[in-house]
Amino acid sequence: MTWTRDSVRDAVMEILRPHAQNGAELSETSHLVADLGVDSLGVMEVVADLEDKFGMRIPDDSLRDVETVADVARAIATRLESEGRLEK
Amino acid sequence: MSRIYVPRTVVQAIEDAAKSTATGYRFVDENSEAEPFFSHAGIERASARFGGALQALGLEKGDRVALILPDNADFVFAFLGAVRAGIVPVPIYPPTGLGKLSGYLENTLHIVDKSGAKVLVTTGEIRRLLGTVQASAPGLRKVADVDELKAQREELRPVKVALHDTCFLQFTSGSTSRPKGVTLTHENLAANIHAIMDLGLGVTPADHGVSWLPLYHDMGLIGFVLAPLYHVNSITFLPPLLFLKRPAKWIETMARHRGTISFGPNFAYALCVKRIKDAEVSHLDLSSWRVAGCGAEPIRADNLRAFADKFERIGFNHRAFVSCYGMAEATLAVSFSPLGQGVLVDKVDAQKLWSEQHAEPREDDDAAQIVSCGRAFPDHDIAVFSPDDAKSEHPLPERSVGELRLRGPSLMTGYYGEPELTQQAFAGGWLKTGDLGYLAGGDVHICGRSKEVIIVNGRNYYPQDLEWEASRVEGVRKGNVIAFGTMKPTMDRERVVIALETAVPAGELREKLKGEVRRVVQQAIGLTVDDVIPLDVGVLPKTSSGKLQRAKTRELYETNELYARGSARKVDTVETVKEVVKSQIGYFKHALLGGLEKKD
Repeated sequence: MTWTRDSVRDAVMEILRPHAQNGAELSETSHLVADLGVDSLGVMEVVADLEDKFGMRIPDDSLRDVETVADVARAIATRLESEGRLEK
Repeated sequence: MSRIYVPRTVVQAIEDAAKSTATGYRFVDENSEAEPFFSHAGIERASARFGGALQALGLEKGDRVALILPDNADFVFAFLGAVRAGIVPVPIYPPTGLGKLSGYLENTLHIVDKSGAKVLVTTGEIRRLLGTVQASAPGLRKVADVDELKAQREELRPVKVALHDTCFLQFTSGSTSRPKGVTLTHENLAANIHAIMDLGLGVTPADHGVSWLPLYHDMGLIGFVLAPLYHVNSITFLPPLLFLKRPAKWIETMARHRGTISFGPNFAYALCVKRIKDAEVSHLDLSSWRVAGCGAEPIRADNLRAFADKFERIGFNHRAFVSCYGMAEATLAVSFSPLGQGVLVDKVDAQKLWSEQHAEPREDDDAAQIVSCGRAFPDHDIAVFSPDDAKSEHPLPERSVGELRLRGPSLMTGYYGEPELTQQAFAGGWLKTGDLGYLAGGDVHICGRSKEVIIVNGRNYYPQDLEWEASRVEGVRKGNVIAFGTMKPTMDRERVVIALETAVPAGELREKLKGEVRRVVQQAIGLTVDDVIPLDVGVLPKTSSGKLQRAKTRELYETNELYARGSARKVDTVETVKEVVKSQIGYFKHALLGGLEKKD
């Protein structure tokens, strides 16, 4: 299937929602650690869910530049685009 | 089993094992279906090449080489290659997780510098991340790319390695960002591996180990890389991050290779219960799993029971559980619970345990369940002493709680380049573990740690480090920060809490402050803080001498009283005296009572 930037963002938010600790509000600018309280095990669970959802393998070292929800969506969209799976 | 024990060096063990082409290491790789297999003959050759390449860099016997290698196969052969050349490897954990870790760089630099490593071997990617590490470690001559070393074809020049020679340095996390290098000789390793494999686990050539444990850590490195060389067993390695991402891979690999032995910290078993869906594993057969070791962090009988309940329908036997006590300073293992018995608990009166430091048996629902970790291995001693018994002169009787201290051939020779810290680690020839516990029928029972270490997912963190980082955030009152771990409200893992005082007014600004503290601690230490609690000035509990009370703060947090405290600090003298007495066993009480739900 092909994705759009909007559908990628929605899917990423859907995956992250259960990880928001203590009722933290989820938005594109939410910082995964500071705002949502995702811990290192939670991160790995998120990565597994993202891989399943988008049908891709996310390398372990690609996480270092990711801080916010929008960063995650952007990184996924970039990958999909390079694979020709993102609609303009 | 009945063989007479003759200590050998790791070098000798590699050479002896090389006769076998049927057994060896298998490396599961996430990116491919192929699982590269190195027979013990192949391990001999691959490690010789690495050893030769390291010698070609000018390294000689006794020199240290730091290794930061996320790939299991790279790490194993670089490590063994160094050992065969008499070069002392210094494993360092690779950077993981989110964000750029300033704390990671600091730690790495400290280890490189303290170990006096002349060469650091790592990947190109991590080399870039480390940046100017070389400039800050004057002894470091070269940062070598592992791929370049692998491409080399230098012959290993034979080096004489003796039992008393240092085999490697195991750096353990220490308080205030100062990891210490545990110096282990070949003799230490031979003694501990004999204890683990022959005496503890009754390993036979038919045993097949499966491990996702990080190899820069003692349980993975000694238990699954070195011990199987001595006993010529096959091991299948999984990348640690693959396990954390997809825990079912551990179970699936155990079943596929008919694994008989695997180990994990408590959290790993809890993670399997939480994350693995029945459908993922319903077709598998775990009946071959005869030793499921649990160690490296406090063992919670409930977590292991839940694991056994979940997986017994696919053949897992709860009697496979072996509860382990160990530490890097004792090479790896100190004691194991007896084989084939599962998790054994001692039921004791929780109240008396911490108020009277006595483990009185009690048989009702209110009893605290303390996991038994078995007795000392032959030639090794475990005894309990009062923490202030500076010369270990008066061992405490059975069921008296005190500091566990150790003696025997598995004990380190000391912390590398730290004569003072080494001296402080021993009391009258006994190693002070810093762990509180008691002996019952000779079996070790761990109740907690006198050092208030926070253990998250098998890694140790010191509250002082977290407090220091949090204090750097603008708006936080310096010196008025308390970090602690708690098992409340959920039992599956330790949660990290930072309570701090601030003059920032309640509301949006405080919320921002909370986020900032989390961000700073995460970036510096790589640890996610579960809860940040900003409080008015003067609210955190202190002793009359002005010292912050960590145990008290945790207690208030767990009973939901922390937020409710007024702004005036109350110093009650009687309360203070009680606190001082209790602070020693603060963690201890928490470890016990934290596990009990209040019934009233």
